[in-house]
Amino acid sequence: MSHKPKNIFVSGAVSPALIADSIQKHSTKTDIGGHSIFLGQVRADEKNGGMVQAIEYTAYEEMAVQKAFEIREEIFVKYQLTCLHIHHSLGEVKAGEVCLFVFTSSPHRKAAIDACAELVERIKNELPIWGREIISAEKYEWKENK
Amino acid sequence: MQQSAETKDIKIIAFGIIAEKIGGRELVCNGISDTGALRQWLANKYPGLNGLKFSIAVNRKLVHENCTFDNESEIALLPPFSGG
Repeated sequence: MSHKPKNIFVSGAVSPALIADSIQKHSTKTDIGGHSIFLGQVRADEKNGGMVQAIEYTAYEEMAVQKAFEIREEIFVKYQLTCLHIHHSLGEVKAGEVCLFVFTSSPHRKAAIDACAELVERIKNELPIWGREIISAEKYEWKENK
Repeated sequence: MQQSAETKDIKIIAFGIIAEKIGGRELVCNGISDTGALRQWLANKYPGLNGLKFSIAVNRKLVHENCTFDNESEIALLPPFSGG
């Protein structure tokens, strides 16, 4: 478990290869009995003027990395986790691509599942990240989290 | 001679729709030393912000009450978050 803020951002979509690689890396940690993974995917919502083609993400990176670190520390205190990873996109992510990857692991399943669910909520509510939904070359809307 | 805090330029960074409405990611103000006064100054200078919700972070921490700052502080204007 690292005690320094770690960059959570990846440029563009989170690739299936990164996710597969991350799963593979955990095979050496044999005290783990369960993983929980959340993947956020860009949805082609229908908007006034067309469908969402992509979301362009920007962030207050320094604050987001610091806040993600604080959340990470709090989650480690609250749940019996072996490890925890967060990857969020910056820049353009097309509809159907993955923009958020949250991965928790624990000796027994419940901690991993509960921690993952709480992390996703906290990431959406507390990290200074903004999505701009691209509808066409001229049209966009600022995303709002529900 | 050293400038007093009141006359030093303070750099402010803006994000998302707030950056769009003020026409850039950075702006400079002068003679303002708390977040309440900053909100007032922004409302007067940028009518486009009217009706838009935003939070203010001082040194990368959200502030919920009026908070003082100086020209060494990192001030940021943050519209509602929409990550994930």
